Amino acid sequence: MTSSDQPLLRVRGATKRFPGVTALDGVDLDLHAGEVLAVIGENGAGKSTLMKILGGVQRLDAGTVEYAGGNVSFSPVSLSPVSFNSVQEAVSRGISLIHQELNLSDNLDIGANIFLGREPHRFWWIDRATIEARSREILTRVGLHLSPSTLVAELSIGMQQLVEIARALSVDANVLIMDEPTSSLTLTETERLFEVVADLKRQGVAVIYISHRLGEVKAIADRVLVLRDGQNVGELARDEITHDRMVSMMVGRDLSNLRVRKSRAEHDRPLLKVRSLSSERFPETAIDFDLAPGEILGLAGLVGAGRTEVLEALFGIRRVGHARIELEGSAVTCGDPRQAMRHGLALVPEDRKQHGVITEWPVRENLSLPVLWRDARGRVFIDRRREIEGSQSAMDRLSVKASSDRQLVHSLSGGNQQKVAVGKWLDLDPRVLLLDEPTRGVDVGAKEEIYRLMDSVASSGAGVVFASSEMEEVLRMSDRVLVFHQGSIAGELNADELSEEAIMTLATGGGEPS
Amino acid sequence: MIKVVGIFGLLLFVFVATAIADPKFVTGYNLQNLLRWTSLFAILGIGASFVIVSGGIDLSIGSVVGLTGCLVPLLLSKGMSVGGTLLAVTGVALAVGLIHGLLVTKLRLQPFVVTLCGLLFYRGLIRYISGDQVQGFGSEYRGLRSLATGSVPIGFSEFQIPAPFIILVVITVVAAVLLNRTVFGRYLKAIGRNEQAARYSGLPTDRVVIGAYVLCSLLAGLGGVLFAFDMNSVQPSGHGSFYELYAIAAAVLGGCSLRGGEGSIIGVVIGAAVLRVLYNAINVLGIPTQLEFAVIGIVILAGVIVDELVRRWVTRRRLLRQARGARR
Amino acid sequence: MKSCTVALIVAAAMLFGCDSKSSSSDGGGKQTIGFVTNGVASFWTIAEAGAKAAGKDLGVQVEVRMPGKDGAGDQKRMIEELLAMQVDGIAVSPVDSENQLDILNDAAKRTKLVTHDSDAAKSDRLAFIGVDNYNAGRMCGQLVKEAIPDGGELMIFVGRIEQDNAKLRRQGVIDELLGRSHDPSRFDAPDVGVLEGGGYKILDTRTDAFDQANAKAQAEDALVKYPEIDCMVGLFAYNPPMIIEALRGAGKLGQIAIIGFDEDDATLQGIIDGHVHGTVVQNPYQYGYQSVQLLSELAKGKSDGVPADKFINVPARKILKDNVESFWTDLKKLLSAVPTSQPK
Repeated sequence: MTSSDQPLLRVRGATKRFPGVTALDGVDLDLHAGEVLAVIGENGAGKSTLMKILGGVQRLDAGTVEYAGGNVSFSPVSLSPVSFNSVQEAVSRGISLIHQELNLSDNLDIGANIFLGREPHRFWWIDRATIEARSREILTRVGLHLSPSTLVAELSIGMQQLVEIARALSVDANVLIMDEPTSSLTLTETERLFEVVADLKRQGVAVIYISHRLGEVKAIADRVLVLRDGQNVGELARDEITHDRMVSMMVGRDLSNLRVRKSRAEHDRPLLKVRSLSSERFPETAIDFDLAPGEILGLAGLVGAGRTEVLEALFGIRRVGHARIELEGSAVTCGDPRQAMRHGLALVPEDRKQHGVITEWPVRENLSLPVLWRDARGRVFIDRRREIEGSQSAMDRLSVKASSDRQLVHSLSGGNQQKVAVGKWLDLDPRVLLLDEPTRGVDVGAKEEIYRLMDSVASSGAGVVFASSEMEEVLRMSDRVLVFHQGSIAGELNADELSEEAIMTLATGGGEPS
Repeated sequence: MIKVVGIFGLLLFVFVATAIADPKFVTGYNLQNLLRWTSLFAILGIGASFVIVSGGIDLSIGSVVGLTGCLVPLLLSKGMSVGGTLLAVTGVALAVGLIHGLLVTKLRLQPFVVTLCGLLFYRGLIRYISGDQVQGFGSEYRGLRSLATGSVPIGFSEFQIPAPFIILVVITVVAAVLLNRTVFGRYLKAIGRNEQAARYSGLPTDRVVIGAYVLCSLLAGLGGVLFAFDMNSVQPSGHGSFYELYAIAAAVLGGCSLRGGEGSIIGVVIGAAVLRVLYNAINVLGIPTQLEFAVIGIVILAGVIVDELVRRWVTRRRLLRQARGARR
Repeated sequence: MKSCTVALIVAAAMLFGCDSKSSSSDGGGKQTIGFVTNGVASFWTIAEAGAKAAGKDLGVQVEVRMPGKDGAGDQKRMIEELLAMQVDGIAVSPVDSENQLDILNDAAKRTKLVTHDSDAAKSDRLAFIGVDNYNAGRMCGQLVKEAIPDGGELMIFVGRIEQDNAKLRRQGVIDELLGRSHDPSRFDAPDVGVLEGGGYKILDTRTDAFDQANAKAQAEDALVKYPEIDCMVGLFAYNPPMIIEALRGAGKLGQIAIIGFDEDDATLQGIIDGHVHGTVVQNPYQYGYQSVQLLSELAKGKSDGVPADKFINVPARKILKDNVESFWTDLKKLLSAVPTSQPK
């Protein structure tokens, strides 16, 4: 083991500019062997850029990176300046980066993914036996008890995340960088991941851990480095790490007096009545629930518990069977998203880039898409003036940070992308707003904007249904919570019954009478 | 616009180079021919571009050209009235597009497969219906045929504006407005870019895609009729065969991405012009006909490469300018 | 979805059903003879009529096959199919005789093979029924001399140059105009450049790969490149009509002499209208008739119909303004009298 006074990795004055933004502005970072360093900050603070530089994806404009890791082995080497030109180079020096987005080929099996590009071979043939054996070993380390020949497509998102980690481990990393590794993991999977991290720590691996989930940071980090606007804000040692201090350092303002929602829901006349709703994935279960005007209904549960399916089926996507849906007392058919939209439903989908927005398009065209037809002259010709006005007012209402509404959505930060995905529905004044993981990958500031918006939509008398894996969000925003377990509703919790324990009990199947 | 500049530059280059090599190239008569052929092929290209923007492909264009091109003289010779014939042919083209669209959207079949089968089916159908006989108008229907062969004098030179060019101008304006100014056009681009996002945004994706295939087949049908008018005698086995490739090449040269979501109508017209100028140049310069395809292939490839380089250069310039602006 | 597919197949079967019967051999010892053309044209419809007429006269089942755009490839496939049907004889007009020797010899081994229209002298075919294309070409040359007796510039248009008949016809035209001796083995490559002699200047030979639009564009472009051109010669059936259309568009009908080959309706109409000086016609009806007749005899073991040089000449004729009407009337009679594969 290396001595803890000499860092394994030292960054000084790291600076990186992109057209229009300075992503990193003289950032310093020290990383010691066998420690878990959490790097936190709002989206756009420069965390991801810094990690991409360490992982060889991008190069610095100014500043130095020094690294003491040799090849694979841990024998102490003195610090020497490095600059990785490619991911392969960084990996070969023992630095592995696990991206926030999954990078697996889901048409291949687990073993093939773990050794993709580095397949052990015997002459010209890929050595399946070695892959099997080594994959099995690594999978055990991450707590995934599956055959390496299982197709990745058959795995849950959470399992896929663990495969991604297994792949990073398979190269014998000295430094492991994890960017939001738990964003799609279930509770058990998260716990398993923490055990894996602790294990790696014992083996002397240095871990850089990036997360918006401050509870996790508190649980796992030895030290916290806080970034804001591409600069160091400060560090917290193990015993200084508290939720409030992290938040205030990140946002530079005090969020401790967050307003807790006061329900104004009127339960006497339901806005939306859903009866026997079934989805393609859970054709056997029928979901029933009501939504009151002004109510925010939270859907809680583990990943894969069927919350997304309910929201999508309600919006006319992948529904099976004959659901009865009543809106303000009259039966409506929402067989496809277009019909659903016409009846005043709107869905902000979970997968923002695939379903929520057209990333290659400017903000304006994204915002106007659902209202284009309604606003068109003669229902045929696009009314450009109304389109511009509409996009301006939506951007103002959500304070979307973009140079103009001509900026392409993929060049926006995750939070601003999400604001666009939500904002495009606002001009339709939806009667029921459905949101699936509304703040995934979204920074603290943008989260607040989205919460404020959900609140204002509900205050106007519409209903809001949202699914979330973030406990804090569910507790804070919901008037009532439906907890899902394996496709069906395991229980319902009213505002006064809400607690983390109550939700987790139901979500893990503990509430079932038996 | 940048897209169009690159292809327009290529057109200008080939045009000027040929004109310098042989001044006869710029005679009124030749320009008139050039414009007529360009118009006929551009009509097919515009049709193809709608389908390509939607993210699909139509390989049946050439066979639809053959189908309608042979049906017109065939029906006329069977004694059907001109109006009835044109109506029937329009109906056939419409039905073809509708079937393609329905198969692609409702049955979720791949456009490549659907239209490849169409390519084979319509060719076989017309060969059977016509008994593989050459179809022609003889010396009749001169008035009707002048839609393709006629021309309008402009007064001061021997150059006359060919009738198909006037048809093309109308189609180009309508198509450009349709693609850029209407809800349909915007929906089409959205679907081509990201069909899922379009669906999740409540767009009538199926109807829009069907519309694109119908437009494509209608324009292919119109092109087929005009080609037949122009040539007077058409062979059911060969009329229009491979024209889908010219149409697709024109669309791609004109800035349509085969990945869908983008396209420029005026670019497609210029793309078709590049193809025709090349053909014309090869003959006028006396380059051996055997080299024809080789020359066209290499020039298109060069055009696409230059286009890509120009686009990258412009993007880099813009980013640099933004960066400089941001630092100030 | 499945029921849709079934319905489609049933519909297609009903649509095409009427033709499928004829492909199966009726048995009972009736001879079957295959007749393969080199493309699709009205020329071949006449040949088909001749073949069918012979079939009717002799009680022979005749299978006519016309290849599409992929000439040589289609022909190979069609010959193989006919061989698989175990026909008693095949008559073929090879698209590219030099490179089709394998399939031709294979056919010759398995059944009786004759060539028609275009020969494959190096193959093991038993006989060639057709016109002497070189002589026919020279006849074309003579028509040029009649049309522009004082000499002048001309250009030759032909679909494909790799076919024997195209090569020989073109060479015949060239040799006649340049006043060369009779030598069918002579060959001037198509890219040889301008050929000059005897007051005639052959500017170029353009090919169009059987694309008619291309054929028309080629003629138009020739008018641009050589505005002073005096005569255009079209050697494949569709070439003269496309030349007529190109000249009509340019307003030069009657000013530039057209010499045609074969008897497309538009070509014959052009002769009547005075736009075309004349055309050289073969006798495709006889190609069809005699091919079937000869093969039928050969299959019965009688080979006395084959001359020593294995060439059965069906002479070409010149059609000019004075004989065009009677020729056309006979032709129409011929086509209407014999049932073709056309429905109704």
